[in-house]
Amino acid sequence: MALPISRAIEVTVLSGENLRMDRKPIKKNAYVIVRTDAENFRSTEMDTEGGSYPAWKEKLVLDLPGHARAMTVEVHCKTSLGDRVLGTAIVPVSDFMGGFVPESYLHFLSYRLRDKRGERNGIINISVRMKMSGGGYGCSSSCSPASEMKIGVPVGDSSFGGAVTGIPVWCAYPARHF
Amino acid sequence: MGGCFSDVRGGKQAIGGRPTPAANDNGSAGRNDAVDFFYRSRGLSPLFTQLELSLSASNLFDRDITSKSDPMVVVFEKKRDGKLEEIGRTEVILNNLNPQWIDKVIVAYQFEIVQNLIFHVYDVDTRYHNIPVKMLNLKDQDFLGEGSCVLSEIVTKKNGSLTMKLQKRNNGHGGVKKLGTLTVHAEESVASRSAVEIVFHCSHLDSKELFSKSDPFLRISRIVESGGTVPICKTEVVDNNSNPIWKPVCLSMQQFGSKDNPLDIECFDFNSSGNHVLIGKLQKFVADLEKLYEEKSGANFTLPSSDHGHGKVLKGQLFVDQFCEKDQFSFLDYISSGFELNFMVAVDFTASNGSPQSPDSLHYINANYGYLNSYQKAIMEVGEVIQFYDSDRQFPAWGFGGRTMDGRISHCFNLNGGENGSEVEGVEGIMAAYTNALRNVSLAGPTLFGQVINRAAQIAGQSVSYNQKKYYVLLIVTDGVITDLQETKDALVRASDLPLSILVVGVGSADFTQMEILDADSGHRLESTTGRVATRDVVQFVPMREVHSGQINVVQALLEELPGQFLTYMRSRDIRPCTITTNTHAAAAAQM
Repeated sequence: MALPISRAIEVTVLSGENLRMDRKPIKKNAYVIVRTDAENFRSTEMDTEGGSYPAWKEKLVLDLPGHARAMTVEVHCKTSLGDRVLGTAIVPVSDFMGGFVPESYLHFLSYRLRDKRGERNGIINISVRMKMSGGGYGCSSSCSPASEMKIGVPVGDSSFGGAVTGIPVWCAYPARHF
Repeated sequence: MGGCFSDVRGGKQAIGGRPTPAANDNGSAGRNDAVDFFYRSRGLSPLFTQLELSLSASNLFDRDITSKSDPMVVVFEKKRDGKLEEIGRTEVILNNLNPQWIDKVIVAYQFEIVQNLIFHVYDVDTRYHNIPVKMLNLKDQDFLGEGSCVLSEIVTKKNGSLTMKLQKRNNGHGGVKKLGTLTVHAEESVASRSAVEIVFHCSHLDSKELFSKSDPFLRISRIVESGGTVPICKTEVVDNNSNPIWKPVCLSMQQFGSKDNPLDIECFDFNSSGNHVLIGKLQKFVADLEKLYEEKSGANFTLPSSDHGHGKVLKGQLFVDQFCEKDQFSFLDYISSGFELNFMVAVDFTASNGSPQSPDSLHYINANYGYLNSYQKAIMEVGEVIQFYDSDRQFPAWGFGGRTMDGRISHCFNLNGGENGSEVEGVEGIMAAYTNALRNVSLAGPTLFGQVINRAAQIAGQSVSYNQKKYYVLLIVTDGVITDLQETKDALVRASDLPLSILVVGVGSADFTQMEILDADSGHRLESTTGRVATRDVVQFVPMREVHSGQINVVQALLEELPGQFLTYMRSRDIRPCTITTNTHAAAAAQM
């Protein structure tokens, strides 16, 4: 491939399991921030129904800088006293890149969360897929090479009610829904 | 006080309307298509049909002093040696002496055997209400009575229902107390892949409580041919809300029969005393519900009146916010549309097996009298079952923990001794390569699974790029406990993201408790050193001695978890069985 590979990744934050705050199961308002480096991060909406087993099923599209070796997934909880980080998981890039599978493979990954003190706190379930230029299967859009060099054009999939990442659209997308 | 609020939570949960988790689809709960299919293909017509038992009771004995009993039924089959084998449990119904249980118990009906069924009714203490019923220790529960019958008695009744008097344990006839009756209704369960997912909401529900709004839930029952109703699901309770929206309810064709079958939909106000108050009811065909969805219109509840009138039409309405038909593809749907299981085998060459020359070695080879050692037996029996699902019969075969010809200890060498290909043909091929390897490889150690699993993962991973219709199964035959537990766990965690399952068959008499850790059945998910957790259970461990002592049938043991593991992988990625193959067949037939 002659084109530079745009390293955009699609992270779907699926659900959390057994999340606790001060040893007690949380009631609501958990949300997740996924970071690939200091500048690149996206957040999910707050879950209000799932209690300590929240479900987000929210697709986030992020730029993965070439130097990044890992991304972090932080689970936060908003309470009346403020915002608390319940736990963090470090996701090595090698868990979804390289290996034997094709780059566009949809990876289902789960991680143990640990809090500031390193104590175990619940599990986070995500799925990750590299967004490929030239549209690997399941890519919700393909776009002209000019625009993808920089950002890889995150496209909020209409089926996910959550964060629609707005990026100026000056290239026409062939509408392709599946 | 006893009526601690949290205890009620268990009673407020939804029952029966959840889409079946894939893992249970072919689980031990009863029906297993894969086993059925295997037998049928060998000309053994299925020796049994699956029956679904619906249970209800009336006038149960009241154990609780301040409230009514919280009953649950456990169904046993009495084996010929008099032992009781548990077949299934219902859910617990709160505070009710005339319960109609929703959870069905599935029994394999074997025509040629007299099957004695024993029903035990228990009062489940409130402090156990948030524990899954399967985990309940029956010894801790109060016994409310037992009933027994022969399965064929129920089947031969005209309406498929049999009512029996409940008796005291052991010998009932002396019982003075009236313990009530239990009614068992049997129907043949039809495996069906279609299901509908429905989201209900209601508006303007009457309040049945003094100071607050109702706590409504819906109960859906099917009207059976013989009259009467069988409850098939209930929603969760929405607290204090006259316009509730419930979580999606998934009804399978199995549950509702057909779209032209009327359903009773009742809306109740939840009451922890068990006296749920009927807010209103209505009767609808499934097709009507679809119409409600399309027209976005509501249907009024009615409240039956005691006199013969039609009952009062209420202001409260039922709406259908979502109605979608779903296909719950089964393992067989995939297999019959060209999906394939690909088998790989790895054999333990560690020294703990004993020198192959010694007759008490697990690897002892003796060509006479058709003698097979433990490994050969395992390979033969398991291979026979698994090659059935693998059409090309080309099996990669490895050994581990042995010192190969070049004098080095290898933890993943080709069983056929070849440099390049590890594939052998058929079970005979594995057997030949195995006996050959025993001559050329000397037993060493330690027992490490990591490399073999990684090699298998590599093959499974590479295949993904060109073919989504392959699923891999690695069979590891071993005599002992692994020394690289953490490495094995790491390899398994990585493998959980791939189309791969691992079947570990333990031979010999070693203590295999450590192996059970790998098999995540107990609910503990495997965790790697980096903190990554397995996304699904990919391991099944079967000690061969259990198979041989006749406790489990080999086919059953092997196919117990595999279809479920296969389905979780396919469903999570939304890979569907392709119907294209059947179309081309049809086209080919048309041309002829």
